[in-house]
Amino acid sequence: MKHVVALAFVALVVSPLVAADPPRPPVPADHAAAMAASQVVFKDTVREFVVKNCLECHGGEKTKSGFNMVSREKMLEGGDRGPAVVPGKGKESRLVKLVARTEEPHMPPGKDAKAVSKEMVDALTEWIDLGAAFDKPLKETANTVKKPLTVTEKDKQYWAYRPLNATAPPAVQNKEWAKNPVDAFVLANLEAAKLTPAADADKRTLIRRVTFDLTGLPPTVDEVQKFLDDKDANAFEKVVDRLLASDAYGERWGRHWLDPARYAESHGFEHDYFRPHAYHYRDFVIKALNADMPYDQFVKWQLAGDELAPTDPQALAATGFLGAGVFPTQITNREAERIRYDSMDDMLSTTGHTFLALTVGCARCHDHKYDPIPTRDYYRLLSAFTTTVRSEVDLDLSSPEQKVAYVDWEERRKAVEWEVKVYEGEELTKGFVKWLGDGSERLTAIEQIKDLKVATGLKALVTEKKKFADLPKAQRDLILKWYAPQDAGWKERAAKLADVDKQKPALNKVTIQATTEGRKPMRHHTADGSIPDFYPKTFELKRGDTEQKVGEVSVGVLQVLARKPEAGWMAEKPTTAGTSFRRTSLANWMTDTKDGAGSLAARVMVNRLWHHHFGRGIVSTLNDFGFQADPPTHPELLEWLANDLVANGWKLKRVHKLLVTSRTYQLSGTATADALKADPDNRLWHHRPKRRLEAEAVRDNWLAVSGQLDPKMYGPGEANEAMKRRSIYFRIQRSQMIPSLQVFDWPDSLTSAAARPVTTTAPQALFFLNNPHVRTAANAWAATLKPFADKNPADAVERAYLMAFGRPPTKDESAIGVEFIAGKGDKGLQGYTLALFGLNEFVYVD
Amino acid sequence: MLPSRRQLLARCGAGIGSLALADLLGRQGLLAADAKPAADPNPLAPKKSHFAAKAKAVIWIFVNGGHSQVDTWDYKPELIKMDGKPLPNFDKTTGFFPGQVGPLMKSPFAWKQHGESGKWVSSLFPHLSKHVDQMAFIHSLWTDSNNHSPALFMMNTGVPRMGLPSVGAWVTYGLGSENENLPGFVVMSDPKGRGLPKGHTLNWTNGFLPGALQGTWLKPQGEPIDNLKRAADTTAAEQKSSIDLMTRLNKLKEPTAADRDLEARIKSFELAYRMQEVAPEVMDISKENKETQELYGVGRKECDHFAKQCLTARRMVEKGVRFVQIYSGGMDNQLSWDGHIDIQGNHQGFADETDRPVAALLSDLKSKGLLDSTLVVWAGEFGRLPISQPGAKPGRDHNPHANTVWLAGGGVKGGVSYGETDEVGFKAAVDKVDTHDFHATLLHLLGMEHEKLTYLHNGRRYRLTDVAGKVVKKVVA
Repeated sequence: MKHVVALAFVALVVSPLVAADPPRPPVPADHAAAMAASQVVFKDTVREFVVKNCLECHGGEKTKSGFNMVSREKMLEGGDRGPAVVPGKGKESRLVKLVARTEEPHMPPGKDAKAVSKEMVDALTEWIDLGAAFDKPLKETANTVKKPLTVTEKDKQYWAYRPLNATAPPAVQNKEWAKNPVDAFVLANLEAAKLTPAADADKRTLIRRVTFDLTGLPPTVDEVQKFLDDKDANAFEKVVDRLLASDAYGERWGRHWLDPARYAESHGFEHDYFRPHAYHYRDFVIKALNADMPYDQFVKWQLAGDELAPTDPQALAATGFLGAGVFPTQITNREAERIRYDSMDDMLSTTGHTFLALTVGCARCHDHKYDPIPTRDYYRLLSAFTTTVRSEVDLDLSSPEQKVAYVDWEERRKAVEWEVKVYEGEELTKGFVKWLGDGSERLTAIEQIKDLKVATGLKALVTEKKKFADLPKAQRDLILKWYAPQDAGWKERAAKLADVDKQKPALNKVTIQATTEGRKPMRHHTADGSIPDFYPKTFELKRGDTEQKVGEVSVGVLQVLARKPEAGWMAEKPTTAGTSFRRTSLANWMTDTKDGAGSLAARVMVNRLWHHHFGRGIVSTLNDFGFQADPPTHPELLEWLANDLVANGWKLKRVHKLLVTSRTYQLSGTATADALKADPDNRLWHHRPKRRLEAEAVRDNWLAVSGQLDPKMYGPGEANEAMKRRSIYFRIQRSQMIPSLQVFDWPDSLTSAAARPVTTTAPQALFFLNNPHVRTAANAWAATLKPFADKNPADAVERAYLMAFGRPPTKDESAIGVEFIAGKGDKGLQGYTLALFGLNEFVYVD
Repeated sequence: MLPSRRQLLARCGAGIGSLALADLLGRQGLLAADAKPAADPNPLAPKKSHFAAKAKAVIWIFVNGGHSQVDTWDYKPELIKMDGKPLPNFDKTTGFFPGQVGPLMKSPFAWKQHGESGKWVSSLFPHLSKHVDQMAFIHSLWTDSNNHSPALFMMNTGVPRMGLPSVGAWVTYGLGSENENLPGFVVMSDPKGRGLPKGHTLNWTNGFLPGALQGTWLKPQGEPIDNLKRAADTTAAEQKSSIDLMTRLNKLKEPTAADRDLEARIKSFELAYRMQEVAPEVMDISKENKETQELYGVGRKECDHFAKQCLTARRMVEKGVRFVQIYSGGMDNQLSWDGHIDIQGNHQGFADETDRPVAALLSDLKSKGLLDSTLVVWAGEFGRLPISQPGAKPGRDHNPHANTVWLAGGGVKGGVSYGETDEVGFKAAVDKVDTHDFHATLLHLLGMEHEKLTYLHNGRRYRLTDVAGKVVKKVVA
């Protein structure tokens, strides 16, 4: 397909392969808000009109013409003449025609009946156009109550919801080709379609590809050379092991995780207050991934780490997940309860998207339109968060050695302090009296004293010859305090104390922003503080409206992902616990692969890994595995990978290794002609397309190549755009996003993000031409090339290509480079390095 | 509904899922403002409107903080008579400060009738009042929130929460941009160090629309557009030779058939190069003659900054920018139209900043033949209460129930006043207009049907007007 290139100020192209979401069938506009708006019209005018004018004859007791208006359901059944109300089609609806008197029989009937006003006809039309919603039936009768959505066994058999199926790799003809089971699944499809996969990528391409994929950084010149020189059959495996063991792995994949977690460090809304202790969650994610924490534990800790491992600060930090969303800080009492439900919804919706790729939030106002999620299930799940709030928790993370050292020090200090105290008791007074003598030598000193009480006291001693012991205690103390620094004995002891103070050992005290229960909550910023932090009970709401409470709900799970009585997941709250353990119950269910949601959780996670390694998920809708999802391109493979994850202790590094050591991963980017023709979108994975680096990796790449990258890990985020640490360590303030990252499609951190879009824009080009940080990096890089250039310009060009692209330049590239830098000195080199940053090859990895 | 059927529907949709995204965007385009070629994935490519309309561009003077309708455009003789009396049945939580509720307070400004339409305007606007016959007033606009940021989000995005696409992004999505060398949607904020509107840059966000549709904020300090200015140590020729070098090197690696983006990327550098020349030129008001500058009030102490912004807006619209929004005032109370204290001093100050420049903008657009195709909007996030907020110098608190806005230019029926507030100007009373109606009307004036301007996101077809919105036809010529 030929691209039409349109040039505009900003976006030029959205990559076809790494798009956010594939096309979906249009959803009619009868979603929540439509019905809500219709309901408003109903409440304002329509209800009264119907009750006054229609209900007597069409209200169940009398049902003339078989038409009953007592409830929406009954009304939509129509009457003897067929449908009277067609939602969305007000003008065409018979009801409107009769009331507007454009069709007979005119309604309401009767000789004396006046024509209904135009305003009323318009209101009826609008109400029907919007969906003909009722807020409640006009009479409560047994048969007006709408049947709730029932979850069937068939629903539970949907590919995403059923238990994991043990699938075996299929038989393939070309057994030689398949390096591991992943390849068998891919090749079977290619063989069935009679397509030839691309050739294997060369070693240079491979190490560059895998280093970016696993660490988000380029391979160094030495790393590339070492791999080229390693003739072992498992040379590539060694590279993979090294990368998976590196700290950079957690930084790379941690950032991938922060997208669906909608991680940011500020409240959003009016003031967008900064959350200074939120970064511990980001650090937890990096540490957990680097330690290869089993994924089920990773999930459980983010939901209920405070309950599951109450003494582990990392488990507490993990709960930052739930509280990473926005939080309005300036609200009025009127909005308070709705906003609390919004906050819980943010926790639940993000939990649904991130772990289960479920659009649970859609069931807030009505049963889910597509997926088998009744509203009741939503609220029961929501109630897991009833008492959950953000809290800043002070912790002492000192090591036992640190604590021992501190206690030791305190003891020593006490001893020295005691010496000082004892000296100040008697010795100091003696020293003072001796120093004062008859006072004649001290008159000048006394004259200069500014403290009046000290001065008058001393004068009394000298001129009135009072005895020191006769002065009031307070005055004596003041005088001694003033005198002490002139006393040799005191000075000696005080110096000793100062020495000890200098030796005070450090303790590691931190404040972690957690999401927990029973601790002091972070508050809304309101004038009078009368707004509750949470409401002790959660209710099922009709149409999401806090004014329409249906009944209190207790914590429960989604029926469609439950194959045993839910009591089996419910954790008992230990008597000493300060939390409800409702979130632990949720976590138990979430990771139960046999009877709970664990099978889906495993599918969703292996799909995320696949997406980030291949550029498109087996299911391309990363955050939606529901009935509206793009179905898996390789369902058996997805199943096999999920099984493999679970069967091997939920270890993610193992899955990474499996994916990147597959032949499928190691194909070249040049598709065979037949395959490209038959499958231009590469749904069967016959080649490995180029991929543009994400915002963070683009920036980390130019920092790394220029030798400026500061490898410091963890800690508070950096607000200064000029900082040199990896991009994951930027401070993410929702209203002040980082321009260098935003320009490359950084997510907005407001809701759970699925796959990032890839745009090509003119501001990106301006960024590479003029951005001061990029230029600083280009100049720093040029300086490292200078010694090569001084010897021979061709050497500098070669070195530059090895550093930036992991390969030597071709003859042409070398000649062009030499021609460009020759005779221009530093400026030539600087212009050259900047141009290399701008090359396609710098941001697109083969 | 049976799951099998649901599943079937889903699968039908997903079967189409194998199409490339370009096709998806093409379809989005088809569903938005008429058709662009399905293969053109550029969200800023110019598009035809749904139907023929006069307005092609918008300049929105955003009256940040919320101006008082009863002190500006909504004349209430009854309020003068009732000065000092309590407002019966007033719910004290209507404004922002429930503890600072005073009696009804007449406007401190003198009122006079203007133009053939005889429109009453307060003494705040000696220049704008000369243009009342070109303006269509809506006096009955109301909103949901009595709080700045939700009300700002409502006015700018149609919902009181953060993160959905702004009007400028929707309009640019619907119509594209006429000039590839300039942004389609430009925002100017207060240049006097008084801050951004509450809610910051989310007031001009693209939301879920493509990033290209985000408002380009001309930063009031430093360089107005990120990375637009060539580094001081680089000449144009040097930069050109760098770009030529890139192009040569990029082209050595002929993209494979599967690498569809790379050619576009090469061109983006050439475009960026041109933009460096074109964009500053448009922002350079020294290109205007002295007479024009004086007309706007450039050089006048009270309005120099706003004059320059209005003049820049005209230059941009002239060059094909689709949507320009200028915020009058900054963030905190007295730094914007948010006159909680001393309504008289506050409004006089901000009217002095805007009156001459905006009036000049109308005259200038007209004399250049651009007023017919440019919709000028005067609107803030909400109105203010007719009662006083007591103090040494009384102010007025927020009022979600009544807000006056005016439209002029492209396709607007001049000299019209639509809707009424009650006798003291407290609540919209006759022909009430909500924010969706207002947005629907803006889109209509630009030739777009608000129900048809949609974008598919997370399985839902979103509109600027959500599921509501009625065009206020009486303000349309």
